[in-house]
Amino acid sequence: MRGINNEPAYVLHSHPWKESSLVVEAFTRGHGRIGLVARGARRVHSTLRSRLLAFQPLALSWFGKGGLKTLHAAEWLGGRLDLSGRALICGFYLNELILKLLAPEDPHEALFVRYEEALQALSGAGDPQPILRRFELALLSELGYAQTLDRTAEGEAVLPGGRYGYAFGLGLVHANGHETSFSGKALLDMAAGDYSDPRTLAESKLLMRTLINHYLGDKPLYTRQLLLDLQAL
Amino acid sequence: MHPPTLAALIEALHALPGVGPKSAARMAYHLLQRDRAGAARLAEALTAALERLRPCERCNNFSETPVCSLCANPRRDPRQLCVVEMPVDLNRFEETHAYSGLYFVLMGHLSPLDGIGPRQIGLERLLARACDGVTEEVILATNFTVEGEATAHYAGELLKARGLKVTRMARGVPAGGELEYVDGLTIAQAYLDRRPL
Repeated sequence: MRGINNEPAYVLHSHPWKESSLVVEAFTRGHGRIGLVARGARRVHSTLRSRLLAFQPLALSWFGKGGLKTLHAAEWLGGRLDLSGRALICGFYLNELILKLLAPEDPHEALFVRYEEALQALSGAGDPQPILRRFELALLSELGYAQTLDRTAEGEAVLPGGRYGYAFGLGLVHANGHETSFSGKALLDMAAGDYSDPRTLAESKLLMRTLINHYLGDKPLYTRQLLLDLQAL
Repeated sequence: MHPPTLAALIEALHALPGVGPKSAARMAYHLLQRDRAGAARLAEALTAALERLRPCERCNNFSETPVCSLCANPRRDPRQLCVVEMPVDLNRFEETHAYSGLYFVLMGHLSPLDGIGPRQIGLERLLARACDGVTEEVILATNFTVEGEATAHYAGELLKARGLKVTRMARGVPAGGELEYVDGLTIAQAYLDRRPL
């Protein structure tokens, strides 16, 4: 039985399992997304449960082979402010993207770092939109779903004044009039991580949404729906 | 193989939370072999509960009458409304004898990753209930999980927009707690939620 000790991780989601246990979906630095059973975590005096909160930096230790591992220790690493309000829903959105797009047990260390940065940024004040767009692009690039945004599929440099379409699996192509197109400036801004231009923000939202919807297939994004439903109240 | 009636019973018991197929079979055999009177009582109680219990018009908790006895009690203070996730939370609150206002039971919490949104819990009914003109303060006592926090945030925003005073139950070091034995996250949150003296 192989054990992993004190692996930096975040809880993405958890649900009750059997009489008194919890199944935890975690995003770990070196082992990607994994499923863990926290035995007895729902008992009254369990110290595990109060630590297994989403968005908190943890060090997890587990053992076991196969789909679900057994969690045997969770330490809170400290230092993060709570997410609250809208930032909390944004956090749920990041978690939902990871749960639905990342294959289990595929390590994505670079993305883990970007996830941590996104949570840190969300816990501060300010507009969450650029934070979400940066993370979406990082996630899609990490999975090989987003092609480079400063060159077309044919290797030409993207020009700020040009209009480009996006072909799935290929990348940027010259806009041919009838498809959804994006301005060269917005694409270059996105490639540079600069979302200060409101038009870039709006276009990047459209591009990211198109790509994410495509790769999710018919899996719904619940967090998006939740925000729509809440606005309707 | 099981006769169809037995299989149906096992399947029905399997629907209970935390009961797997093996436990369900054990329960079914126990009821049929060792405790037939108990089985009959269970069947009657289930039928009666399904027939007679309805959500209380005021607090959404289970009730045999359109308005439950707690909501109808004239000695309760109608100016305070405490919002909890589940009936069991209401019972815990009542055991304290510290609160004399009324309640609203959401019967769940917002859980974005499970697809549970405002429509699946009683959020709309809460808004209607709290805007009765008598309620002055709404105390949000949902759990201190991320889902409970999200629920409290959104319920709070919607209630505040309707001109109500909204408070959130405090969290922090438990009664009789010594910092030496309290986990770090709780201490950090207690520090963030500190109050002036």
